[in-house]
Amino acid sequence: MNNTFISFLAECKKFFRSKVPLVTMLAVIIIPFIGGFFMLILKDPKLAQRMGIISAKAQIMGTADWPSYLGLLAQAVSIGGLIIFGFVASWIFGREYSDRTIKDLLALPISRSSIVMSKFLLVFVWCVILSAFVFVLGLVVGDVVDIPGKGEGILQEGLTVFVVCSLLTILLSTPVALFASIGRGYLSPFGFMIFTVVLAQIVAAAGYGHLFPWSVPALASGAAGSDAAVLETASVIIVLITSMFGLIGTMLWWRYADQN
Amino acid sequence: MNEVISTTGLTKVYGRVLAVNDLSLSVKKGEIFGFLGPNGAGKTTTIRMLLGMVSPTSGRCFVLGKRISAGSTALWNDVGYIVETPHSYPELTVRENLEIVCSLRGIENKSRVEWIMGKLKLNRYACIKARHLSTGNAQRLGIAKALIHRPKVLILDEPANGLDPEGIIEVRELLRGLAKDFGVTILVSSHRLDEISRMATNIAIIHQGRLIKELDAKRLEQELKKSLVIGGKDKAAMASVITKAGYKVKMSREVATDIPLDLRIDDKDALENPEAIVTLLVNAGHPPNLVRIEKEDLEAYFIRTIKEAGGNYYE
Repeated sequence: MNNTFISFLAECKKFFRSKVPLVTMLAVIIIPFIGGFFMLILKDPKLAQRMGIISAKAQIMGTADWPSYLGLLAQAVSIGGLIIFGFVASWIFGREYSDRTIKDLLALPISRSSIVMSKFLLVFVWCVILSAFVFVLGLVVGDVVDIPGKGEGILQEGLTVFVVCSLLTILLSTPVALFASIGRGYLSPFGFMIFTVVLAQIVAAAGYGHLFPWSVPALASGAAGSDAAVLETASVIIVLITSMFGLIGTMLWWRYADQN
Repeated sequence: MNEVISTTGLTKVYGRVLAVNDLSLSVKKGEIFGFLGPNGAGKTTTIRMLLGMVSPTSGRCFVLGKRISAGSTALWNDVGYIVETPHSYPELTVRENLEIVCSLRGIENKSRVEWIMGKLKLNRYACIKARHLSTGNAQRLGIAKALIHRPKVLILDEPANGLDPEGIIEVRELLRGLAKDFGVTILVSSHRLDEISRMATNIAIIHQGRLIKELDAKRLEQELKKSLVIGGKDKAAMASVITKAGYKVKMSREVATDIPLDLRIDDKDALENPEAIVTLLVNAGHPPNLVRIEKEDLEAYFIRTIKEAGGNYYE
């Protein structure tokens, strides 16, 4: 069996015996329900009036239809995903330092690169599962709320945007792993995640979001307005370079840095 | 190949701190090599360098003839280790933690987990999560992880930490058996000489990153200072008689009251012929009521060695 796969199975065992899968699953469950709730309010203006501040926020979403709803899901996974997917990456890497189990992984017949790759593989797989869960649950919630304007083309387009946004957001979890490794725990990656989310808003507002990797998924989801929801090739390349930087940086850190 | 672990001019500098200074060691097959030093002496840093976790600033280290680097993966099939306090995945049980080590080490024989739990008396705790283990049992689990793949080389950093006296004896016997019956080479660090001296065939003492003494168990026995301790009613008069006979005598006194406790003679001649001293005192009318040869205690030897090398144990 391939060393990375062996290590991946061990990582799965550690991960699924922890509370992180449950916590992250509960965190993403909120997304479709909030989206459905907004749609419900938009569908019923009288209820919206009675809701006060929440209805005011809900109006931002525009109209109660499937394109708006799917756009909302894509935006939520682009912004919320930075935190939730980042949390998954920071835990998978940072826990080895916090629990002081890292030393058990450093002198094994399996190379450190394989171990790092298996951890990234788990981050990717779990974040894809979370994203798929959000979308599928989103469809169910949308049907229950009876959002109007459902069509195959709309769903297909919504799915494409959602998948692109999810993948871009997942790709951005590799630098979090690097910060977890350098910072030897959870604190540094959390600080890094909050910093990037805040900075992404500022940079996007300044009009340079397409050049800042952490703004790109949200822009692609249409968070800055559907007119701005155009994904430039340069933006994708910037996200890929950032992701590669995180991946290679983490591997090099595990391979060459002193592990005290 | 006789030399299993070796270091040449191994040095590690952290900023301005010289953690390990030009350390050269050689451990041969089947030896239990006691690596001694007070806390902060550089033992763990040396062990981390031997395991490729820390890169030396200069110098080299070899295990089983292969130069150590972070990339030497195949070598670790033959090496088991503990670095500082062993930690395990808290949400996994003892058995699951061992199963993870088995899979990462490519051990397909599933009975190995039961075997090692039996050896370390962990069967009772097989289904207990690691977070609920006592310090001693967590240490046993750490030792189990180090031994599960039946390595040819064991590098153990303070393996007896947290164990109760019974556990210390069990682990000592286990390690002795591995070295004697299976030719396993063991480098074991500790800050306690008495613990190490009971099992080590060779001992190295390190202080402030520097090797200050390397000797085998037989030599250690010879190096321990011996004194002829004599007691009697009039210790001052007895000291005078002994001094007149040409021996150097020291009188130990109680610290609080300054009352003489006993007389101590370190002369080789007196140690070899204590009866001559007894005859001398009896003839002078001061028969002794206590005569015994006292050997320096190991901790005292350890501290003396460090002091002789210009260090302070408490630094």
